[in-house]
Amino acid sequence: MQLFLPLIIGILFSAGFYLLLRRNLLKVILGIALVAHAANLLIFTMGGLKTTRPPIIAESKKMIEGLVTDPLPQALILTAIVIGFGVQVFALILARRLYQQTGISDINAVKNSDVNTEQVEKDGSL
Amino acid sequence: MIISILIIPLLGGIILLLSSKRPRWHFTVNFLVSSASLIAAVIVLTQTVSGRILTLQIGNWPAPFGITLVADLLSSVMVLLTAIIGWAVAIYANKYVNAHQAGEGFFALMQLMLFGIYGAFLTGDMFNLYVWFEVLLIASFSLMTLGSTSRQTEGAFKYVLLNLVASAFFLVGIGLLYGVAGTLNMADLARKAAMMENTIVLQTVALIFMVSFGIKAAVFPLYFWLPASYHTAPIPVAAIFAGLLTKVGVYALIRVFSLIFIHDTNFTHTILLIVAGLTMLSGVIGAAAQNDFRRILSFHIISQIGYMIMGLALFTPLAVAGAVFYIIHHIIVKSNLFLIAGIVERIHGSFDVSRLGDVYKKWPLLALLFFIPAFSLAGIPPLSGFWAKLTVIKAGLDIRQFAIVFVALGVGLLTIFSMTKIWAQVFWKEQPITKEHRNTGNNPVWMELIPVAFLALLTIIIGLLAGPVFEISNRAAEQLLNHKPYIEAVLGGGR
Amino acid sequence: MELLLMLLAVFALAALAPLLYSFTRGNTGWLLAIFPFMLTAYLLLNIPQTMTGHSVQFDWMWIHGLDIHLAFYLDGLSLIFSILVTGIGGLILLFTGQYLGNAGLIGRFYSYLLLFMGSMLGLLWASDLITLFVFWELTSISSYLLIGYNHEDEQSRRAALQALLITAGGGLLLLAGFLLLAQIGGSFSFHILRSSGRSIQHHALYPLILILILFGAFTKSAQFPFHFWLPNAMKAPTPVSAFLHSATMVKAGIYLLARLNPVLGQTELWHMLISTTGAVTMLMGAILAIRQVDLKKILAYSTISALGTLVLLMGLDTKAAFKAALVFLLVHSFYKGALFMITGAIDHSTGSRDIRHLSNLKKSMPMLSVSLILASFSLAGLPPLLGFISKELVYEAKLQAPNAAWLITSFGVLANMLMVALAATIVLRPVFSGKSGVAVKHPPSAFLLVGPIILSALGLVVGLYPQMIAASLLEPALIAIQAEVTTIKLALWHGVNPVLLLSLLTFLGGVIIYILTRLYPDHFKKPLLSQVMKADTMYDDALDKFLKLAKQITLFIQHGNLRYYLFVTLLTISGLLLFYLLTEQMAITLPVLAEIRVSDMTLLVLILLSALMMVLTGSRILAIVALGVIGYAVALIFFSYGAPDLAMTQFSIETLSIIVFVLVLRKLPKFSRLSGRLSKTRDAFIALLLGGIITVISFLVMHQQPTKEASTFFTENSYTAAKGKNIVNVILVDFRALDTLGEITVLAIAAIGIVGMLKLKNQKGTSSP
Repeated sequence: MQLFLPLIIGILFSAGFYLLLRRNLLKVILGIALVAHAANLLIFTMGGLKTTRPPIIAESKKMIEGLVTDPLPQALILTAIVIGFGVQVFALILARRLYQQTGISDINAVKNSDVNTEQVEKDGSL
Repeated sequence: MIISILIIPLLGGIILLLSSKRPRWHFTVNFLVSSASLIAAVIVLTQTVSGRILTLQIGNWPAPFGITLVADLLSSVMVLLTAIIGWAVAIYANKYVNAHQAGEGFFALMQLMLFGIYGAFLTGDMFNLYVWFEVLLIASFSLMTLGSTSRQTEGAFKYVLLNLVASAFFLVGIGLLYGVAGTLNMADLARKAAMMENTIVLQTVALIFMVSFGIKAAVFPLYFWLPASYHTAPIPVAAIFAGLLTKVGVYALIRVFSLIFIHDTNFTHTILLIVAGLTMLSGVIGAAAQNDFRRILSFHIISQIGYMIMGLALFTPLAVAGAVFYIIHHIIVKSNLFLIAGIVERIHGSFDVSRLGDVYKKWPLLALLFFIPAFSLAGIPPLSGFWAKLTVIKAGLDIRQFAIVFVALGVGLLTIFSMTKIWAQVFWKEQPITKEHRNTGNNPVWMELIPVAFLALLTIIIGLLAGPVFEISNRAAEQLLNHKPYIEAVLGGGR
Repeated sequence: MELLLMLLAVFALAALAPLLYSFTRGNTGWLLAIFPFMLTAYLLLNIPQTMTGHSVQFDWMWIHGLDIHLAFYLDGLSLIFSILVTGIGGLILLFTGQYLGNAGLIGRFYSYLLLFMGSMLGLLWASDLITLFVFWELTSISSYLLIGYNHEDEQSRRAALQALLITAGGGLLLLAGFLLLAQIGGSFSFHILRSSGRSIQHHALYPLILILILFGAFTKSAQFPFHFWLPNAMKAPTPVSAFLHSATMVKAGIYLLARLNPVLGQTELWHMLISTTGAVTMLMGAILAIRQVDLKKILAYSTISALGTLVLLMGLDTKAAFKAALVFLLVHSFYKGALFMITGAIDHSTGSRDIRHLSNLKKSMPMLSVSLILASFSLAGLPPLLGFISKELVYEAKLQAPNAAWLITSFGVLANMLMVALAATIVLRPVFSGKSGVAVKHPPSAFLLVGPIILSALGLVVGLYPQMIAASLLEPALIAIQAEVTTIKLALWHGVNPVLLLSLLTFLGGVIIYILTRLYPDHFKKPLLSQVMKADTMYDDALDKFLKLAKQITLFIQHGNLRYYLFVTLLTISGLLLFYLLTEQMAITLPVLAEIRVSDMTLLVLILLSALMMVLTGSRILAIVALGVIGYAVALIFFSYGAPDLAMTQFSIETLSIIVFVLVLRKLPKFSRLSGRLSKTRDAFIALLLGGIITVISFLVMHQQPTKEASTFFTENSYTAAKGKNIVNVILVDFRALDTLGEITVLAIAAIGIVGMLKLKNQKGTSSP
C-alpha cells in the first residue's frame, strides 16, 4: 500500500507544476492549490503509515496503548492546510484584482513591472 | 526576555488593528512599539554577546517536544538589526503614510511583518520557521498590495507566486526531513544528522532546502521576483523589504547549511559557491542596466547577497564571520539607500535618474547622507562595507579560492560604478528641465532625515569601530560552526 | 599619538571648512593654509630624529580578530613625502583662495582638499598594509570629488569617474595582493614583513602578489597602459592638478614601491616588470607631451613621463637608482607644482592656457615669468638648478642598470631631449615673443605668485646648495628603503664624465627637436602612436559595450515573463536533484506491493483522473470541480490512514476553497488555448520529471526508520501532562501552540489584505511614472 501515496504525491505535483506553467491566471492558482495538497500528503506519508489507528486516547485510558499513527505530522498538516488556505485565497483575490486592473488574461503579458519598454529603448547614458 | 521580542510587535499589531478608526494615532503608537522592540532587542544582545545562548521552551515543554526559541549570537544580531530598521522606518514613515493608508492597516501590517521576521530569527524548529515565513510573507504581500497601481499589482503577483512555490518546497523539505530524522527541532536535527550513516537522502533534502531558501534569499537563478516587485512597493515598505526580507532567506540558508546539512560540504557548499559567484555577477550586471533609482538598488541587493552566500559557501570560520559582518553592514546600508531614494523622489518627483539632478547643489546634507551608505556599499574604506568585503575576500584568498575572489573584486568595481552612476546622475548633474516633469517643491524634512542620518551614522561607526563588530561576527560564526553549545542549550546538557 | 592627532586635526579641519568659509569667505584659503605649514614645521623639526634612524610611532589594534592595526610611523621615507604634501598643500591652499575666489561650492572644495591632504598623510605614515590601503582608497575618493568639482560639466563627471574606476580597480587588486602578502608574511605590519622578505620572495605566490600590487601602484601612478586617466583629470581646477595630479597623489604608487622594496624587491620579476613599464611610460609620456598645445595637458603628459622615470628607477632597484629617484621626486614636485600654479595664474589672468596664444608674459607678468623660466630650466635639467643634479643622478643610475643599461639609457636620453624641447616650448614663445597675444585682464595677485615663486626658487637654491638635503632628507629616506647607512654627496660639477656628455647630448638633441617642432608644427600633430592615444577611447568603448551587454543579459534573465521564472525555478530544482541522484547511483528498492487495498486503488485512479481533467479541461467549472474531488480524495486518504481530524479539516477547508473559487470565477479570465504544442510538451516534461523525482525521494525516505521521540512523548504525555485525549489537538493548542498562533496571524493578515484589495475594486489603475 505504501507505493500508492508517493505515486499520488507525484501525480499531484506533476499536475500542479504543469498548471503553474500555464498562461491563464486561474490555472496558475489552481496549480498552487494542487501543489499544496501534494505537499501536505507528502508530510503525511512521512509520518510512516504503519497503522490506521488514530492518535486519540480512549475515554477510559490515560495513555495510548499500542501503535497509533504519528500525531505530529497530522498537527503540522493541520496548520499547513489553514495557512495554505489563507494564502491561496489571497493569491486568488490578487489574480482577480490583476485581471480587473489590467484586463490581462495571459500571464505572458504581465511584464510591466520588470520590463519597462520605455526604459529599454532609452540608452543608459552616463 | 526572548518572548518580549515577539510579544511587543504582536501586541502592537493588535492594538493598531483594533484602533483602525483612529489612524492619526497610529504613527505615535507604531513609533512607541518600535522603540520598545529596539530596547528589547538591545537587551537580548547584551545577554548573548558574551556567547551565552538564550533558550525559551514555549509552554515549558522540553525540547525537542515543544517549540524552542533560541537566541544565539547570530539570531540576536539579526533581531537587533530588524529592530533598528523597524525603528528608523517608523520615524520615516510619518511623511509617507497618510491617514487613509494607516486606516487600511499599514502600521499594523508592518508590526505583524516584523513579528514574523523576529519569529523566523528566533525559532529553533523547522516547521515553526515555516510558519514564521508565512506570517512575514503574507504581511509583505498585503503591504505590497496596499497601493493601487496596476504595476504594483503585477509586481505583487509575481512576488506572491514565486514565494508560494518556495513555500511549497519548504513544506516538501520539512516532510522529507521529518521522514529522515523523525524530528524537526533544529538542535535535535543537528545531533541526528551528525550521526546518520546513510546521508544520500539527507543530501536530497538539503538540495530542496537550498532551492526553497534560495528563492527567498534571491540567489541566482531564483531571484526573479525581487527586481520585479521591490521597486513597486511604497518606499517605507521597500526599505524594510530591501534590508530584511531576503536576509531572512540568507539567515535560513546560513542556519541550516551550518547546523544541519554539513555532511558533504564538498558538494553542497561548492554549489553554493557557484551560486554565490553567479548571484554577485548577475545582480551587478542587472544594476548596470537600470535607470531607475530603486531598480539599481534592487539589483544590488542581489549582488550583495552573493557576497553573503560566498561567506557561507567558503565555510571557514573567517568566511562565515564575513558573511555575518556582511549582513550587518548590508541591512543598515541598503534600507538607508531606499529611504534616501524616497526622499529624493518626494523632492524631485521621480525615481528615473535621467530626470533627476541638482541634489548635490541644493541639498548638501542629503548628498552627504547618500554618499556615506552608497560608498559603503561600494566598499570604500573605512566604511562598513569595506570590512565586510575585506573579510570574505580574505577568507577566499586564505583557502586559495581565487576564482570567486576575483569575481568578488570585479563585482566590487562594478558596484562602485553603479553608485557613482547614481551620484553623478542624481546628485551632481544639472537637472534637465522637461515639460512633463517638474519638481514637487517639497523640501526634505527632519522627520525623514533623522532616521537616514541615524543609519548613516551607524554605517560610519561600524566602519571606524570595526573591531567590536568583527568580534561579534566572529563569535557568531564560532557558534555556528561549533554545535555543541547550541545543542546543549536547546536540548539540555544531559544528552 | 601625535601622528594620529595631526591626522584627526586635518580631517576635522576638512569637516569644518565649509562652515569656516561661510564666515571668512575670501580669507579662508590662507587661514586654512596655516595648519599645513605648522605641520611642515613639525616635520622639519623631526628631521634630526629621523637622521638617527628613530621613528615616531602610533599603534592601535583596529580589528583584533584579523590582526589589523591602525598604525603609523614616520621614518625618512615618509618624512620626505610628507613634507612635500604639507608644504605644497599649504601653498596650494594659499593659491586656491585667490584662484577660485568665491565661485560655486568653494567651501566643499576646501573640504575635499583637506580630506585629500589627511588621506595622503595617512597613506604615507601607515605602517600597516590595511591602514595604508584605507587611506589609499580615500585619496582616490577625494580625487574623484575634486576632479568632479565642476559637477555640472559632463566632461568633468566623466573624467572623475574614469579616474576613480581606474584607480579603485587597481586598488581592489592591490587589496587582494596585500591580503595574500600578509597571509604569507604573517602580518600586515611593515616591520614584520620586512624581516620576512626572503621567504616571501621564494613563495609560489610571490609572482601573483607582486603583479596584484603592481596593478595598484601602476594605476595610481598613471603608468602605461593606465595612464590615460591623468590627462583627463586635468578637468579639475588647477590647484587640484598641481597638488594631487602632479606633486603628491600620483606619487603614491612610487611611494608604495619604495616602501615595499625591502619586502618584494631584488628579484628578476621586480626588475623586469617595473623597469619595463617605467621605461615605456617615460618615453611615451614625453612623446605625447610635445604634441599638446594646452599648457595643462603638456604638463599632464610630462608628469606621466616623470612618473615613468620614477617607476623605472624603482625597477632598477639599486642604491644609485633610489638616490636618483629621491632627488628627482623632490625636484619634480618643485618644478611641476610651480608650473601648474603658473599655468593657473596665467589662466586666471588671461583666460587662456593655449601656448599658441600666449605671448610677451615678460612684460605683463614679470615675476611669474622669472618663476616660469626657473621651473622650466629645472624641467629641462639645466644647471645650476636642482633639475640638473637630478638628471645627472638619473643618468648615472641608468648607466649602472643591471640589465639592458644602454637601452634604458637611450630611452632616458630621448625622453629628456623631449623635456628640453618642452621647456623651450613653454618658455620661449609665451615669455619672450613680442607678438600680442591674449590680453591680461588683471595681473596675478600676491597669493597667486607666492606658491610658484617659492617652489621655483627652491629648485634654484637647493641646486646651488644641494648638500643641504643630502644628510637631512635623502640619507634617512635611503636608510628606510635599503636599511643601510649611506653618505650622499651631491654637487653640480662632477668633472667631465659620461654622464656630463649625455647631458650635453640631451641639450643639443632637445634644441634640435624644438627647432623641428617650430619648423614642422603640423607633423607633430599627426596621430602618431595612434594605439596609445586610443586608450581613452578604448575605455569609452569598453564601458559602452559593457552597458549594452548588461542590458542584453538583464533583459535575457529578467525578461518579465512570470511563466519562465517559474519554469527556471522548477528546472533548477529538478536539475540539482537529478544531478545528485544520478551521481550517487543508489539502488531504489520498490516497496512491497503486498497490501493492496481496493480503496487505495480507487483513490489513486480517482485522483489521477481528476488531475488529468484539471490539466486538460477547457471549462473552468470542471477544473474547479476536479480540484474539489482531489481535495476530498485527499481527505479520504487522511481518514483511511488514521487521521480523522485532519480529514475533517481538509474536508471543510476544501469546501470553503471551492466556494471562494466559484465566487471569484466570474471575475477571472476564461480558459483559452494559449500555449502551443511545443511549450506544452516542454512544461509537461519538466512537471513529470520533478513530480517523478519527488516520488522517488519519497520512496527513499520511507525506508528510513528514524526514532521519533517527540511523537512517543506526545502519546505518553498528552493526557497526563496536558489534559487532552485527542493528541493532535493537544499538539496544536499546547505542545506547538506557537505554530497555531502564527497560523491565526496568517489568517488575520490575509483577511486584512483581501479586504484591502476588495475595497479597491473596479479602479482601473494607472501606471505609476
